[in-house]
Formats: sequence, structure tokens, C-alpha cells
Amino acid sequence: MKRNKVLIANRGEIALRIMQACLDLDVEFTCVYTREDSNSEHCTEALKKGGEKALYRISSYQDPNELFAVADASGCTAVHPGYGFFAEDFRFARRVEQRSKKLSFIGPSWKVIQELGDKINTKRLARKLEVPTVPGSDKPIFDDLEAEELASSLFSFQKEMGVEQPVILVKASAGGGGMGIEEVGDLDRFRTVLRRIKSYARRQFRDEGVLIEQRIFDFNHLEVQILGDHHGGVVHFGTRNCTVQSSGRQKRIEVAPGFDPENISYAFDASRVLSDITEYSLRMAREVGYDSVGTWEWIISPTGHPFLMEVNTRIQVENGVSAIISRIRGHEVNLIREQIRVGLGSRLGYQQKDIVFKGMGIEYRILAEDPDNNFIPWVGRIENFSWPDHPWLRMYTHVPVNRPYDIPTEFDPNLALGIVWGENLDQAKRRGKMFLDKLVLEGFNPSGEPLKSNVDFLRRNTDKLLVF
Amino acid sequence: MIDITSLLEEIKKAPYKELTVFTPHSGRIEFALKEAGTTVHGASGVWNEKPGTLLAYLTREGNRKPVYAPEKGELVMFHDIDDHQFVQAGTPLLKIRHFLTKQEVIDIILKKALHLFLAPEKGRYYFVSAIDTKLKAKGLGHVNIRQGDEVLIISRMKRETVLVYDGPGGIIYTTYFNSSDSVEVGSPLLGVCPNNQVEEIKEVVARIQSGWEEKQ
Amino acid sequence: MTHIEKQIQDLTERLGYIEDIFGNRENANIALLRSKLNDFKAQLSSLDSGQLKRQLSSLGDLFLFLENKLEKELTPMDKVRIVRHPQRICLKDILENVYDNYTEIGGKDEYSIDPSMIIARAYITRKVGKKTYKQPVMVMGQEKGHGEEFRNGGSVKPWGNAKALEYMKVAETENIPIHTYIFTPGAFPIEDYPGAAQQIAKNIYVMAGLKVPVVAVFSEGGSGGAEAIGLADTRIMLSHGYYSVISPEGAAAIEGRLRDGQRSTPELVERCARQLKISAKDNLEMGYVDRILQEPPLGARAENFDFFKKLRHEVILATDEIVLSVRGMKLFRALALRKLSNPNIYVRWSLSPKSRERLTWQRYQKFMAMSRKFLLDNTSILEKSFSRINDYSWSVYAFLRYEFLGRHQRKITHLAEDVQGEVQALFGKMLSKGSRIISKIPGLKKEKKEACELTTLSSWESGISWDEHCRYISPQANKDRTVTCPNSDKFGCLDLWAPDLFSDFAGVCSYCGHHFPMEYEWYLFNVFDPRSIREFNSKIESSNPLSFDGLDIKLEQAKKSSGHKSACMTFEASIKGIRVVVAMLMARFRGGSVGVAEGEKFIRAAETARRKHLPFFAYIHGTAGIRIQEGTSGVIQMPRCTLAVRRYLELGGLYLVLYDTNSYAGPVASFLGCSPYQFAVRSANIGFAGPGVIRETTGQDIQPHYHKAFMTLSRGHIQGIWDRREIRNNLHQALMTMGGEFLYFR
Repeated sequence: MKRNKVLIANRGEIALRIMQACLDLDVEFTCVYTREDSNSEHCTEALKKGGEKALYRISSYQDPNELFAVADASGCTAVHPGYGFFAEDFRFARRVEQRSKKLSFIGPSWKVIQELGDKINTKRLARKLEVPTVPGSDKPIFDDLEAEELASSLFSFQKEMGVEQPVILVKASAGGGGMGIEEVGDLDRFRTVLRRIKSYARRQFRDEGVLIEQRIFDFNHLEVQILGDHHGGVVHFGTRNCTVQSSGRQKRIEVAPGFDPENISYAFDASRVLSDITEYSLRMAREVGYDSVGTWEWIISPTGHPFLMEVNTRIQVENGVSAIISRIRGHEVNLIREQIRVGLGSRLGYQQKDIVFKGMGIEYRILAEDPDNNFIPWVGRIENFSWPDHPWLRMYTHVPVNRPYDIPTEFDPNLALGIVWGENLDQAKRRGKMFLDKLVLEGFNPSGEPLKSNVDFLRRNTDKLLVF
Repeated sequence: MIDITSLLEEIKKAPYKELTVFTPHSGRIEFALKEAGTTVHGASGVWNEKPGTLLAYLTREGNRKPVYAPEKGELVMFHDIDDHQFVQAGTPLLKIRHFLTKQEVIDIILKKALHLFLAPEKGRYYFVSAIDTKLKAKGLGHVNIRQGDEVLIISRMKRETVLVYDGPGGIIYTTYFNSSDSVEVGSPLLGVCPNNQVEEIKEVVARIQSGWEEKQ
Repeated sequence: MTHIEKQIQDLTERLGYIEDIFGNRENANIALLRSKLNDFKAQLSSLDSGQLKRQLSSLGDLFLFLENKLEKELTPMDKVRIVRHPQRICLKDILENVYDNYTEIGGKDEYSIDPSMIIARAYITRKVGKKTYKQPVMVMGQEKGHGEEFRNGGSVKPWGNAKALEYMKVAETENIPIHTYIFTPGAFPIEDYPGAAQQIAKNIYVMAGLKVPVVAVFSEGGSGGAEAIGLADTRIMLSHGYYSVISPEGAAAIEGRLRDGQRSTPELVERCARQLKISAKDNLEMGYVDRILQEPPLGARAENFDFFKKLRHEVILATDEIVLSVRGMKLFRALALRKLSNPNIYVRWSLSPKSRERLTWQRYQKFMAMSRKFLLDNTSILEKSFSRINDYSWSVYAFLRYEFLGRHQRKITHLAEDVQGEVQALFGKMLSKGSRIISKIPGLKKEKKEACELTTLSSWESGISWDEHCRYISPQANKDRTVTCPNSDKFGCLDLWAPDLFSDFAGVCSYCGHHFPMEYEWYLFNVFDPRSIREFNSKIESSNPLSFDGLDIKLEQAKKSSGHKSACMTFEASIKGIRVVVAMLMARFRGGSVGVAEGEKFIRAAETARRKHLPFFAYIHGTAGIRIQEGTSGVIQMPRCTLAVRRYLELGGLYLVLYDTNSYAGPVASFLGCSPYQFAVRSANIGFAGPGVIRETTGQDIQPHYHKAFMTLSRGHIQGIWDRREIRNNLHQALMTMGGEFLYFR
């Protein structure tokens, strides 16, 4: 591989993992940090592993200009966006490629990001390929009469499907991230809600279009991990179940694979569902020429119907839980490493049949928060943070263990990821609980109150994993 | 009541403050001024529309941006940075010695002499309407508050809470916040002057007004 | 003071005046006068009374002789100094000496809403035989007041012009003629409501349709300020006056590309004054004034009583002529009047309704004929005649379609609507019930199809699909660099990458919504339906009517770099299928300044819109004002275009104006500012004079955002602000909501 240098355009644990992957691949790297984040372990580690010149202070992680200036000043040839920030920003990816000093974007090509970043476009692509999607509109609706007709047929459709209390969602088609969405339980209220959403959308997005979809209750949230290269190779790394979430729909535990039909009985053919969604995801990935790591997110209804929700065109937090159960020619997989490798132009070098899945993985996201109180983030200083090492445990954190650490309030509140592996679900669960029991996480806030964490919440939820 | 005279003497010993100018972001630096000892000035004009003295240019991604002096003063020292070098965000460039104006001296003294009511948390602050109308009608230095009065409203994340004043009763002598800007935890919001000290404070202010010589 | 002393003082003052007028120029004649007078003063004590008298009288003769001689040497700049001299006759003098009695309205010296504008009801007495007639007149004009400070040098504020407008309307109601006297260096550039530009625009618009005779007398006709009361049926110019697009100093500042603070050399000012052709003779030759009233040597001053008599005669005659020219039985009396030049023939000045119509039509034609001789139109004869035939057939079509058929169709439609309304009221309930029953029958089939549509791909045309080669890429988007938003300090906007900013973001800051200027092409591609633009009159060219130094080269460059022949592009296009006629002023061509060609194209566009019964849309990408190098030929486009717009509007048209980038001065103060529907793109700066000019004329700094669209909106000058990305939708909506039911034409 020719000499490459990767700008790690992110922070925290993902910056650390990217850095490690670079070291594994013998690729140079440059790290960045901001004033608020100077105590993060990723800074210490960058200096230790890369030396004085491997760390640059920037004014903001959100300012692409800073990243490019540093990339040029430090002689980088590629940019890894991590997750969040610019990971799914097609304009950023395009600029990486189109600026006068070109860099490689370690992620999908910008056209793919643009195509799959558009919810409507993704849904239409899925329907074109006969991939199941949430029932409802697949284009923005502007006309009130048309919307009403669609809403009413969506109610009768659900009744026919055996849904007793059908509910529909009205969304601003230009919206995202939970903004501009309302539920409607009966047709009489529809018109008022439609008006409200439309006027919100007009004010917010200058676009009156709405989407109308079925609201699916009590679903399980599954994912398919895809990897493609620049040469047409596409493989998958199995499924994950991300159903354990906070009240704000933030994932807290991920399990790979997505169901366990051998040990748990389901009301539907679970292995069929797993193979179906994998097949559907691959079908779409091949269609768009997907050329990096990516995740197809699925909703599985209690009756075992899968619906495509969206595609995440980036490396995800929970990539490690798929990696820990995957073996290629006997070696454990590192998806970030694979992503960098294909991002720099390498071929996959293996086929689907070379990928073997072994055992069960559980990932715990450890946060300072109050699960009993709406998962409100806790802010303060961490005094003690430790855990015993095990061969079956991977721990990723940017929180220093040898000194106190003030949790910065500006960023994502994740503190650490603990990934455990077991031969089977039972062993994985037992190990998971063992890990959580031995984990020490202590600290105080300015008013002297002790740290609140979600460890109990994680432990409580371990028993019910994969039961549906 | 603090000893104003000795405080004033202390300020007179070093009647300036030193400001360090940092790079706002990364980029290649080009100094416009190179000599220590140069006099610089801050933004001026009725609407502050005229920028201060040009100190340097910072070029990032083909965008050459001027860095201006924030305040009037004398350029006392340059940090060790080569011209045309790439600098990271937040790098100190140079130091400006700014001689205190009368108003600034008054502010320093008032901050020591008045009871400061501090912001309990980060957020935007504004007066409750009763006090607001009184302030608008009478002006600063004429509105009384007592312990337990509802005085301010904190607006944070679209949540509004009424804040009760706890401190000695007195008049609102000065305010330190702007309702359009967010205030950091622990920053002063109000300077309250206990009723029996109003005259003294006024006298101090008058003394500075007449006695302080502003250095150009 | 003795008689002698008084005479000496008189001569000293006359010398002082001469010295003032000739500026610092040395002149043998002046030197002679000075030395003779000084000699005389020196010998004063040694002379007896006889000698004194004799010497004085010969000195007086010498003065007269040399004044006459100097008169012939006057340069245009000297004339500027004459009209600005404190001894120059002023409106108050005229009211005292020309009219037989008057009452000043709405002001006494400094106690006035604007002391630089005087309005008076006056009358002129005429004896015919034994009968005495008192003929009332509304008199208005700028007052310089012999240098009184509060008169502001005759520079009228917006409210002064508003007052004038109010009394023009009063005169119209009272059916009495208006005499306006123009003594202004220019309007005072202040934007407070009603706004310098917008108020002048309103004045011009109203004057374009005033149904009473208007006579204007020009002494100092400084551009926009002059036009505010200058659109008249007869325009008389005083022989020593000037009428210009800009003060010679202003022109020199622009020509010399001076930054603030710098002063231009007297030579440059002098040259500009000469080149601008601002004198009475020049303006008469070019046809912008109707006649010249000769003043005494070196200009009329307050004590020239004979001159007032001449002026009185002239304005009475002018008013008589106008009235007679629109009366039915005009021929005989008009001839008699001119031939005998006898002011004592009585002519009643009130007009009958028929004559009023003729008056405004005559005014329209008069102004339309102006400046046409300077028009450079390279359209070939064949094309011209073709377009004439085309125009004619459109007229016939429009007549049949809208006048003949339209009227009947409207009646039928109205009737049909009425009937329908009645039927609905009667049978409404029954009908709606019925329809519900009917809709249920084919229901089953339909729902199956819908269920299918809920889970499978629907058909969808996502708006307009732009052809790749039909897309506009701004040249600003081709540079790998970032741009700082001017609001970044306030809103923390990050730097924007130019290729994103000037393509995807349409030049709008994605953090705060600030609009960066975009080229006019962007609008052509993103506002109108693709491939719907049809340009017309593209061969009318900007020219150099005054042969102004250097303009030819500048125009040549502008034509070459822009690919257009003038700053105004006129075309027909459609917006979501609705046809409109568009006149666009492009900032890239000489700052979008308006001269003969631009004005004519604008007028023709308005006429095309009128003939075809289409909405008329003025898209002002930018205009710096009237093209100063064209002098009065440029200024005259203000009333001309406004007249055309007024005619279009009165016949029922919908006239929309949209400002972008910077729009200043003449055009805003006339044919743009008169539109009832003016909108601005967020990036716009709109005003009468730019910051530099304001600083120069008023000596005041203005706040940084003085002319920004939002300020303009809050002052009430425009009707709304549009986001650039929404122009197409907003324009379509505006056409749909403001346009009437019959093709946006009443």
C-alpha cells in the first residue's frame, strides 16, 4: 500500500479506534481536538502514538474548513469522518474529492451518500427493487385532498392487515431527526394535523410536502452490516438487534446476530427474516454500487414483517459487535480497518463464503445518565473508572482511567463501549453481567452529588435480550 | 465596605490590562504589524462600523481574513511565530497593553464594591416585567430590590424559570448581562448597592471621573 | 448714506457678484473693472461733486458694457455658480413680482414641514376690455431663499415633495393650472418615510396623469429633485439656468473615480459641466425644454423687475397655449395669441372633461417623442416592419379578445356565477348527499388500487427536471476557496465553500440566510420556465448622445464583456406556464444605469405587455441610477418610463418590481418606485443615493445597513422581501393572487 496519511476528523472513542486501525494498517494519521476536548484520551494517545505533529487544535469539529486546513498543513491524503459530524454529509464528501488538493474520502462516494441520504429516494429505490418498506406514501404530497385520500386508505389498509387501532404518521418530507412528525389515531383529526405539519414545514424547510406512513408498534429494530469496495465487491457481516433503547430512541444495547432462533422461540420464522433482510440489503447495495461500510436499518413487526427504515452510509458506533462474531480465515474482523482499506482503494480480497460467524456479541453503551428520569445526562467529574480485562471483552473509551475527567457538555454523551463475546447467547449474557458487575464508574458533580450511570439499566435489560 | 482608596492606588500602579490576541481558527498567518511598541486601536465609529487596527491576515482555504485589534492600546509583545507559518486554532499571537479608561476603572471598583448577584446556571437572562418597567422608567441606580424578590427570568433550552434574588437589599446599580446573549455560570448579573452605601459609591465614581487620567 | 455712497456700494456689490460668478478665473475685463473702481475709490476725497457724478456715470457705463461683454464669456460652470448665488432670484421673489397676490400654504419661513418647498395659491389678474378676471393658479417650487440656512439650498426632503404632491391633487380637484418653479440642486437623500426616491416616484406618477395644465420653469434643475415637480406640459428654461442629471462636481467625482475626502480639480468639474450639456441652449436643442426665457446679462437677480414682467408674460402665455391646444376650438385663438403675442386676450383656464383627456394624451405623446432622435436601433428595416405588423396584429387580437369578446365573456361568466350560486344555495344539501352516494359505488375497486399504492412504487415527476446543459453554474462556484458570511460575528456562521455556496445554496448562507449577490443569469435559469425566454428589441444599443469623453470606449467594453447591447434586456417568458413580459436591468452593464436605449426598451416592453395583455415584471438585478454621461437625455427617461408604466397600469395591467443587489437613484425614484407592488430579494440595497453620495451631500455618516431590504421594508418603501430560493414560487403566487381573473388584466 502506498504511503497514506489519514485525517481523523472526529473525536472520542471512534477517533481512538480509527487511530488504532491506522496503526494496524501501518498508515500514518493526524488527529484533531478542540479546546473543550483537550482532556480526552484520544489526544493523549495521538501524541503517544503519532508524536508531536500528529495532533492539531481546531476551533470546531463542525467546521469543515478547519479540517481541510489541517489536512493540507499536515500532508494528509485521506479523511476519515468517523460517525456523526460529517460522516453522512454528501457535500463534505464531495468537497473532499473536488477541492483542488484532492483527498480520499473514507466512506461511500458522495453520490451514494446523497442518494441514500434522501429518505424518499431510498424508499423509492427499495420499492423499485421490491424491497419492503413502511406502507404509505413514497413521494411528497402537496395536495390536501390527495393526502386525505391516502390517509383514509392507510387506515383501511391497516384494518385489513389486522391492526386493531391503526395509527398513521404525518411527516414533513424535508424534515428529519424527529422534527415535524405527528401521529394521528383517527381520520377526523387528520386535517388539523396536516395543516399544522404543512405550516411547520413551510416555515422550517420552505417546502410544504408531507409524507404519510403507517405507524408500526412494538417492533424490533434490526440492522444489516454491509461492506463494499470500489471494485464492485459487496459482502455482509450479519445482523444486529438494537431494540434496547433509551426513551429518546437512542440505542443502549446491541446484539449480534439479530435473532437467536435456536434458543428462543419466535412467533414467526426468525431465521427466514434474518436471511430476507440480508438479501434485501445486499440487493440495494449492489444496485447503488455501495463502496464502503454501511448499515441497512429495519423494522420487524410483531408478525415478522420487515420494513426498510433507512440506510446509514457510515461506520456505526455498534460496528464492533458485528466484528466480534465475524471471522475471515480464522481471524477476528475489524470493520474500521476494512473501511480504511477499501477507502484507500484496496479490493476486499475475500468473498461472502470466507466470512464465518461464530457465537454471540453484546455491546453495552455506558453513559452517565439517569435512566429513571428520562435518561437526563449527568454532568460532572469522573473520579474512578476501571474494569477487569478479559479475553472475551473489548472496551472502547476516550475517558482516561489514570486521572479524573470532566465530562464535556458539548458532545455526544457516550463514555464507553463494552463488547462481550460468548459461545452462545446464554454465555454472552452471563459474561455481560459479570462485566457490568465489576465495572467501576464513580464521580461527583459540582454540587457533590454522586455520578448516575445507566449500568443498572443495562443489567436489567440483559435478561430480555433478543426475546420478541 | 472595601477600602476604595487603596484599591485605586493599586490600579494606578498598573493602570492597564493585557490582552492576548489568539487565532480564531487555523490557517497561515501574515503579520501586518511587526514592531512592538506600535499603538493600535479597537473598532470605532457611531455603529462600531470601522474595524480596529489590522494586526494580521489569517488565510485558510483560500480565504484571507483580517485579524483586527480588539481594543485600544500598545502592542507589547509578539509570540514566537514565524510569518507565513501555519498556526493552529487558538494560538496566541501577540499581546496588547490596554490602558484603562475611566469607565473601566469604575467597573473594576464597582465589581468589588457592589454586591454581585451571580448567574446560577448557563442561559439567557432577562428581568421580570415588574422590574423591567421600573428600570425603564427610572433607570439604573433608582430601583430597589429586597431579598426574596422575583427579579430575573432564566431562559434555557426554551424553558423559563423565575429567579429569586438572594442577597442584601439595595438598589440595582448596574447590570452585566444582555438579554440576547447567553451568560456563563457564575458570571455576574447584577451589581446591587446596599441602600446605606449609595452615597459612598456615588462619591467614589465622582472621584474617578474627576481624578483618573486616561492614558492615550 | 448719501446717494453717491450708495452708488459706490452698488458697484462694489456688482463687482463682487461678477467675481463670484467667474470663480477664481482671472479675466482682463474683471481686472479692469476692479482697478477702475479701486482708483475711483482712492481718489474719492480729492474729487468735487461734479467730477464724482461724471466719473460715477462713466464707471456705471463701463460696468454695463463689460457685463454685456462678460455675459458672452460665461461657461456652463459659471452658470451653475449663477443659479447657486444668494442673489439669484428665488421663488419668493417670483411670487411677489409675477403674481398679483398669493397665500402661502403650509409654511412660514422655518415653520414648515419643509422650508425648501413652497406652495402658494396665487392669482393673476387680467383686464380684458372693462372686465377684470382673476385667474387662480397653484404655484409650487423649491425655495433657496437667498442663502437662508433653513431653506437647505432648495434641497427638498421627501415630506416636502409629498406636500407638493398633495397640492397638485388639490389643484386637479379645483381644476386650476399649476406653475412649478425649479430651484433645486437635487433632492435631499434621506430614506425616512415617505423616502426620497419613493416620493419622487409618486410625484412623477401622479404628474403623468394630472388633468390640469402644468407649466414648469427651470432655473436650477438638479436631476431627481427637479423631476419631482418638473413633468409639465410646457417647460420654460431660464437662459442662465442649468438642467442636469447630476451636479458637475458629482459627475467629476465619478469620472475622476474619487474616494471620499478627495476633491476633484476645477478643470475636471468645468469639463464635466461642459460635456453634460446642461445649459438652456443645449436642453432646448435636445428638445427637453420648450423655450428659453432670456435673462439680463449675468443672470436675473432680485432687483431685475423687467425680468419678472417677462416671466409673467411667459407663464401666462404658456398656460393659455396649453389650454387652447386641448380645447375643441383651438386653432384660431392659438394663432392669434402667438401672432399678436397679446397676453390680454382672455383664456379661461379651467378644462372640460374632454379637454382633460386630450391634455394627458398630449403630455404622453410629448414625452414619448423626447430623446428618440438619440436612439441607436440596429434592428434592420425588414425586422422593424415585421415587428410593426406583429404589433399591429397583436393590437387587433387584443382588441377582439379582451375588449370585444372579453367584455361579453365577463358578463356571461358573471351571470353564470350568479346562477350557479343560486342553484347551490337551493340544492346544495341535496347535491352533496347525492355525491356521497355516488362515490360509494365504485369504491371497492378503488381501494384495492390504493392498497397497492401504499406498498409499491408510485409514479412521480419531481417538479421540473432541469436538463443538465440547461443548468446555470455561477462562475463564482468554480473557485476552490471559502467565503466568510458578513454576519458571522453575529450568528457564528462558518465559512462557506464557494462551490457549494454558489451552486446548491443559491448564494445563500446556510447558517443565517444572508444572500450573497448572484449573477442575473442565475435568475434567468432558476425563475423562469426552462427554454421559455424570448428576447425582443435586442438590437437597440446604448449610445453616447452627448459624445461624452470616454463613454464610447466604456460602452464598447460593456457590450463586449456582457454580450448585451444595453443594460436593459427585455423578453417574454413564462413562470409555471404564465406568460409575462420582463424588463431586466443588469448590474454588469455599466452598473445597470439607464440611458436613452434602456429607457426606450423599458417603454417598449411596457407597451408590449399592454398590447398582449400580459403582466409586466421589472426585474432589477441592479441599477446605479441614470447614466450620467447621457445627461438630460438620461434624466428624461424618468418621466418617460413612468408615463409608459402609468398608461399600462391605467389600462388594467399588473406591474411587479423585484429589486436585487443594489438599486439606487433615478429609476427607483420614477418608473420602479411608482409600482404598487415592489418586492426585494433579501440581498437588496434600495435607496435614493448611495452612502458615498449621502456623505458628500449631507456631510453625515449613515449607519451600515441604511439601505438594506429589511430597513426599506420597515420604512414602508417596498411590499415584501423574498428569499432568493423562493422567487419562482413567490412570483407565481403573486401573479395568481394579484392578477385579476382575466389574464392578470382587469
